[in-house]
Amino acid sequence: MELDDLKQTWKQSETNKNINTDIMNMIQHKTYGPVAALKKEFRKQIIVMCLLPLLLIFTNLDDISKPLTSILFWAYVLLCAGIVVFAYFNYRIANRMSVMDESIKPNLEKQVNTLETRIQWKIIGLRIALIFLIVLTEIVPYIQHYSMLDKWHSLSPFIRFSAYAALLLFQYFVGRKVIYRKFGSHLVYLKDLIREMD
Amino acid sequence: MLQKREAEKQFEKHIKEHELLIYKICRIYAYTDADRQDLFQEIVIQLWNAFPKFKGDSKLSTWLYRVAINTAITGLRKRKDFIESYDHAALPANISDENSIHLEERLLEMYKAIEQLNQIEKAIIMFYLEDKSYEEMEEILGISQGNLRVKMNRIKEKLRNLTNKH
Repeated sequence: MELDDLKQTWKQSETNKNINTDIMNMIQHKTYGPVAALKKEFRKQIIVMCLLPLLLIFTNLDDISKPLTSILFWAYVLLCAGIVVFAYFNYRIANRMSVMDESIKPNLEKQVNTLETRIQWKIIGLRIALIFLIVLTEIVPYIQHYSMLDKWHSLSPFIRFSAYAALLLFQYFVGRKVIYRKFGSHLVYLKDLIREMD
Repeated sequence: MLQKREAEKQFEKHIKEHELLIYKICRIYAYTDADRQDLFQEIVIQLWNAFPKFKGDSKLSTWLYRVAINTAITGLRKRKDFIESYDHAALPANISDENSIHLEERLLEMYKAIEQLNQIEKAIIMFYLEDKSYEEMEEILGISQGNLRVKMNRIKEKLRNLTNKH
């Protein structure tokens, strides 16, 4: 059969619609595309990161001064705030990704650029967070006493810094892989689509 | 509130007018009633989300095609192409009613061949079946007309080979 033979059948195809087309009902539903999934993840991040410091305060209600005078607590708050800002920034990026007001190819290219930038920022963000925690672990004992850090600081600096280096290396290789496994497959898929259009 | 209701009414009117267009996209990208229903709904939601930003710079049908195909090729990634096998019952009713079993089989072959095309080729073939001009295709897909002509010839050849194999 030639393609042209299909044309006639194709044009008559309206006779067989087994689809519910209740438009008003449909628009009440949530979308489940990849961009929507990204947005959902960022929303979840924002909520969880806002709640975690509050949860810490709540569990220390009997002695509220304990968390409020702890450097670690405030460092944690700072970290959570950083993640919230980062997630909000990402949420806005994902929002922009859902706009489809261009031709398909430029739109896909824009999505790829956005995703690549986002992944790059995530990798950098995670590295900064890890370095921040390492610096904090090293500095805190000079300012405030934490028994949980005593054992760690009783180790020789060589072992400690080797462990930090190993952690950074682990994050460099494994973190990148994990992030790409999560979002990279979609990125590869979009790139394939663009290649198919060339 | 009143404005929203007005927008909803207007949107519903537009969608009803172009329902068949969306349905045909669903038919190219999904092959069971359930999958088509999911894709139809997803496209309508994406159109509704994009509707406030539609400024009327392009024709409504062009905008609809852009959003709908974009959704079809990128929006349902989780389930891959969500095509498992062709739903025999989903073939146009007139075929089984009026024509021979032989024609039905050949038609099924053609749909199966289309199923094996990549996402972009499927879009191009759909525009071909819809008698769209290369100019319109370029406006929707963002692929140059020259490139589209080359692709179209390749797709036809590919489909010919695929249907001859069976």
